Amino acid sequence: MATVNQIPVLPYGVGSVSRGWLAAIALLLLVFVVGAFAYSRQFMYGEEVTGLSDVGTRGGAPWGLYVVFVIYFVGVSTGLMLIGVVAELLKIGHMRAITRIAEGLAIISLLLGAMSVLADLGQPLRGILNFFRYAHPMSPFFGTFTLVVSGALFASVIYLFLTLRPDAAILAKRKSGLSTFYKWWASGYKDTPAERARRERSSIWLAFGILPLRILAYSTLGFVFGLQVGRPGWQSSLQAPGFIILAVVSGAALLILVAAAARHIPGAREELSIPVFSWLSNLMTILLGVYLYFLLAELLTTGYTSTEAGWRVTSSLLIGQFAVLNWLSIGMLSLATALGGWQLIRRSYSLSMIVIAGVLVTVSAILQRYLIVVPSLTTGHLLPYEEGTYTPTLIEYGVVLGLLALGALMFVAFLKLVPILAIHKESD
Amino acid sequence: MTIDLDRCTGCRACMVACKIENNTTQTAFWMYVFRLETGIYPDAKVSFLPRPCQHCDNAPCVKVCPVGARYKRDDAIVATDWDRCIGCRYCEVACPYGVNYFNYKDPKKGLYQDWKDPAIQSATVGAVPGWANPDLEEKYGSENRSIAGGNHIKGVMEKCTFCVQRVEKDMLPACVDTCPTHAIQFGDLDDPDSSPSVAIREKSNFKLLEDRNTQPRVTYLGSAIGSGAREIERPSVRE
Repeated sequence: MATVNQIPVLPYGVGSVSRGWLAAIALLLLVFVVGAFAYSRQFMYGEEVTGLSDVGTRGGAPWGLYVVFVIYFVGVSTGLMLIGVVAELLKIGHMRAITRIAEGLAIISLLLGAMSVLADLGQPLRGILNFFRYAHPMSPFFGTFTLVVSGALFASVIYLFLTLRPDAAILAKRKSGLSTFYKWWASGYKDTPAERARRERSSIWLAFGILPLRILAYSTLGFVFGLQVGRPGWQSSLQAPGFIILAVVSGAALLILVAAAARHIPGAREELSIPVFSWLSNLMTILLGVYLYFLLAELLTTGYTSTEAGWRVTSSLLIGQFAVLNWLSIGMLSLATALGGWQLIRRSYSLSMIVIAGVLVTVSAILQRYLIVVPSLTTGHLLPYEEGTYTPTLIEYGVVLGLLALGALMFVAFLKLVPILAIHKESD
Repeated sequence: MTIDLDRCTGCRACMVACKIENNTTQTAFWMYVFRLETGIYPDAKVSFLPRPCQHCDNAPCVKVCPVGARYKRDDAIVATDWDRCIGCRYCEVACPYGVNYFNYKDPKKGLYQDWKDPAIQSATVGAVPGWANPDLEEKYGSENRSIAGGNHIKGVMEKCTFCVQRVEKDMLPACVDTCPTHAIQFGDLDDPDSSPSVAIREKSNFKLLEDRNTQPRVTYLGSAIGSGAREIERPSVRE
């Protein structure tokens, strides 16, 4: 363990526990406990404690905040993994600084996504069992579960394991409380040239595999909505591509925010430099432009060719009950695009501007998911039901906050076990 | 099933019969009768549209169920296995007709009367609810699955079963049996002499949302209700 007078044995605050860190853990634990309490109410009394209700005569939305966050969490995970893998494959030197943050966050948010699914289920215990026992391949959910939870999670964990091995081999040699853990992780890996070549080869092939797997996996989540003949506003071939674009955008936004915070970790500031952020900002800006174009194309198609019910959904977004949220989120996305575009044109980047864009995009990406899920359920009726409403309750907000706190807890714990930046590069 | 819109008077006796037979909770209407209005006074026109589950041959709900709890039986009934359902509500989201009702709370708490009230219990000898139909707890079909009736447990989906517990005993569904104007006919469409087959031959007919290619098993007789129809009144919406 590091003491005040010694140079830390382990880099980037790994293994050392500061007072601030403990305070953060305590605060996050508190929020998590509040969320767990909220979920316990739902588990005992059923989903009547949420704002969810049935489509049709009950005038509600059966899917709400939980499904919104399933899409957000899995989307962020997909985006982060794609960014991490692409940065690694293209060998963009300075971008190696964010790959580990991206991979760690990607795994954590995937777990959160799976938990949000369970939070949404009326019979969560049955869900865990029956998804596997009675899997029905025709359901778009089947793809989500096999590809996302099993395939993508497994591949991502293996990928992280492989990319971390050289660091583990180095750290295992240093005397610290964690050396047993690193020895286990390195599992005989000594970082000889032959080993290194083999490890790099397998990482690259795995990265090539992960790329299409993650895109397909997240597309199935888009198809959960895009394939529904019964829901005007959802049925669209742009749904899955739009999901992928927004996934990378929201992944880049979260990465910007976390990497900006990680600059406070001792020794990390030099590597998490402006070029890293400007690369992320440019990626986010360009894809935001694509996403806004998709939104426009979708709006024009549904508006121009719309059926009666389709137009009800569209008009609820433009002038109806969702207009405020919709214009707010489009406004924020446009502002973020403008901020990024301006910096891109002038080739001069400011960290605070990039962070502001990251916040705007993160908030509006969640809003966008809400605006995909809910309006079609409350207004897209094909039979003459009246317009429904959905207002999330405190229980739902509590559960979501609890999940976010759990994710943050997992991430700060991750930072105490794993160096946030790869160290094997600097020692070879 | 055929429903003759020219005969329907909108009395909603079918809705009540369904509730009693299947023991559904408050605000759950497996059979629902729209009371609709088109046009503007003095040229307004009132029409009625009974809406059971359409038991589609190409059912969106069956396709999307991730665990096969919603399935199509050989006799064309679209059934829900409440013993397998995980409560994801994807079937409800996929259905264009809005016929699914989820048990958001313990169904025993959603009944019209407090059956645990001592005064009532003395009359019902402790049965909750008083009219509980033992047939609803049975398993049905060659698959031997729990598909009959409502109000079983919280967190699962339920919907119209065409009264499978009655049909398997060669009885008619409750809504058909109770309709005072014989607007609803039920039988085997493969049998040319069954009452729905005859009705379809003799009268102009249509299916609900045929353009969605769900291939419903419910056929409506008479003319389709024009677009722009609005509900005259709506039931209390929340559970």
